[in-house]
Parts: sequence; C-alpha cells; structure tokens
Amino acid sequence: MSVQIRLISRFRTLLLLLGGSLAACTSTTVDEFRQGETGIESDESVVILGRRQASDYETRSEFVECVGDRMSRGEDGIRVVPEREFVDAMFPWFEPRTAPLRTRDLEQLMAEDVVAMKMQEFGVRYIVWLDGFTETTGRSGSISCTIGPGGGGCFGFGTWEDDANFDARVWDVGSLTNVGTINTDATGQSYLPALVVPIPLIARVEANACSRLATQLKSFVNGS
Amino acid sequence: MKHVTRRLRGSFKAGWLLLSLLLAGCGVNNVTIEGSFPSPNINKLPLSIAVFYDNALTDFAYMEYSETGQEEYNIESGLSHVRLFDAVLPAMFEQVIIVDTLEEAEALQVDAVFAPLIEEFQLALPQKTKLDVYEVWIKYNMRLVAANGDYIADWVLTSYGKTPTETFRSVEDGINEAAVVALRDLASSFSLSFGQVPEVRDWLASL
Repeated sequence: MSVQIRLISRFRTLLLLLGGSLAACTSTTVDEFRQGETGIESDESVVILGRRQASDYETRSEFVECVGDRMSRGEDGIRVVPEREFVDAMFPWFEPRTAPLRTRDLEQLMAEDVVAMKMQEFGVRYIVWLDGFTETTGRSGSISCTIGPGGGGCFGFGTWEDDANFDARVWDVGSLTNVGTINTDATGQSYLPALVVPIPLIARVEANACSRLATQLKSFVNGS
Repeated sequence: MKHVTRRLRGSFKAGWLLLSLLLAGCGVNNVTIEGSFPSPNINKLPLSIAVFYDNALTDFAYMEYSETGQEEYNIESGLSHVRLFDAVLPAMFEQVIIVDTLEEAEALQVDAVFAPLIEEFQLALPQKTKLDVYEVWIKYNMRLVAANGDYIADWVLTSYGKTPTETFRSVEDGINEAAVVALRDLASSFSLSFGQVPEVRDWLASL
C-alpha cells in the first residue's frame, strides 16, 4: 500500500515537472509599424479603448485594463486614463455605434467644443484602439470523474490551443493622425492531465500578449 | 396516536419542501434591468420640455419563452428606461419637467412635451443562437407634441446591445449587461440625432 502511494506521489511530481515545462510553451510575436514621430510629456496621458463594433466578437475590457495597468507601471510608466472613466465622461461620443473609426472621424469629433475641452481636461495625447480576441481551438481528450463513499477522483487527459491576436492602433490627438500599429499574436497549448486530481497546465496566452503589447506600446509612445 | 400524527406532519413538510424545490427549478426567472447611465457631454438646446412617461413605458416587461413554449425569463426594463431618460434629458434641454398627465403639461406652458414608448423588445440568448453573445434589440416610438397637444414629430428609434458570454457569468447578468449596452446605445443615438429628425429640425427652425 505504502509503495503504491509513493509511486503515485512520484508520478504526480513528474507530471508537475513536465507540466511546468509545457506550461511555458507559449510563443508571442510582436510586429510594429510606425507611421509618424511620437513622444509624450509628463503632463500628458494615453487612453486605451477597446473596439466593439464587430458582430461576432468584442475586445474584452479586462484585456484593455491589463494593457493600461502594465503601461502605467515602472519608472518610465505612462499616465493612462481608465477606459470606463473616459467613455463615461465623453458619453455619447465613444459608444460602439458613435466612436470614430478613422482619424478623419476624430477630426470631426474634435471640432465639437465639448469633446475638445474634455480631451484637454484629461490631457490625452494618444488614443490607442485595441482590437482582437482570444480563440480556443483543437480541443481533444476526455476526463471522467467519479465519487463514492470511499472518496473520489478523476482520470483522463484534455488539451486545447489558445490563440490571442490583438491590434493596437495609435492615434495622435495633437496631429489627428494614425502614428502606428502594433500587432501581437500569442499562441499556446494547454494541458489538463488528471490522475486522481486534475492538474491544469494552462498556457497564459492572453497574459503574455498583454505584457508584450504593453511593453511595446510604452516604448512606442515614448518615441524610443 | 400523537406520535403518528407528528410523523405524518414531518413527512408532509418534507414532501412540500421537495415539491417547492422542484417547482422553483421550473419557474420563470425575473430579471430587473439595473445600470448607471452617464449624463451626455453635449450642448444644451434652449428649450423647456415636459416629459410624460406612459404606464406602458414605466411598467414595460418582456417575456422570453423557451423552445418548448414555457415562460423562461421575465425582463422588467421600464424603470431603467425612466432612469436613463432622467439622466439624458436634463443634459439635452435647458429645462425638463416630468408630468403625470398630458393636461398638466398644457398648464406649464412648455415648448414641447416628450413621450417615449417601447414598441418592441427582442432578446437573443447564446443557448438559442449558438453564438457567444447575449443580444438585446429595442424599438422605440418617440413622440413630441406641443403643450396644447398639437403634433410636432413622431419617429422610430432602434437600439442594440450585446455582451460576450463569460465563465461564471449567469444568464441574468448577461441579459442585464446586454440591455444596459442597448440603453446606452439609445441614449447616444437619441441625444445625437434629435436635432436631425426632419420634423424636429423644421420645428426647431420655426422657433
């Protein structure tokens, strides 16, 4: 009995170690396309907004918040206006149906004195439009769990692939132009082996995409 | 004898509890739309407007039926519409007075009386559409009359809201979120398009 328990314990440790190496299997690609000069003063800020015009998906506000949070961290952190605060203060100009889609629309919007004044109040120098989503594909495997008077447990194996693809378009509110686009694509395979207890080995694709995009955006806006 | 009666009463109580639990599982789910609506950041029109909320609007509720024809979700959105208009109208007009009857508005000598109505409400649930979004679509009839009851304008406005499905989010929360997005959509299109409705534009030009 004791040998059996020891074997199971060793097998679990092995799975955990294997999982640790498999969980790191996330690859992220960042592409930057610069169209203009950038730079930001200490009294200026950036607002990051999610695109929600598509019929089949919408950019999650949690991802937008994650990018904003990471951009504002560190010594060279940038002042980021929270999305909800900005959209509410600008209501009804940045709703899914009324938000500017092109810089030409922003130019028309800035002609409205109430919008221009509010933008100045926030000190917004750049608007970053985030557009994208995370897709889960290739689900396979199965896990079955049972419970009885003597205890319970699960057995099986599941796997799936996550792909996070996000575009960030940077608009300069001063020159009313698109100054660049950054694309981030992160893919990773997640595993869920279960031997009595399920051990989730999740590929953190969205978190990686957020982190890499925020780092790239920060250096892009700083002009470096 | 006493012991038998007590046991019978105990069994009856247990049976009643089980039946109640079973019935609760089959009952209709009530969803009262709740959300906060910001005041629009727009230029005010120098008008004095009376607002009349008809009972058809304040008590508005929509019933969603299951595929087998059972009552599934009862969505009460009347009061949230009132809260929305209460936030939007004071930002659009110089003076806004809420009236209980159309006759009351005549005595107040306002420029116009605004009376919104919901004509249609549609809901799309992920379990039926097989899409990963909750969707709400609402059709309104906006009426604007003079204080003496003369016709000024009558137009249709539609609003749409959607919200993605999320792990651990209940159906009720999904419906509420989609409805709040639809209400914000109504507020944005109403406040931005009010002066562009042909009849309203003509009326504003005649003032």
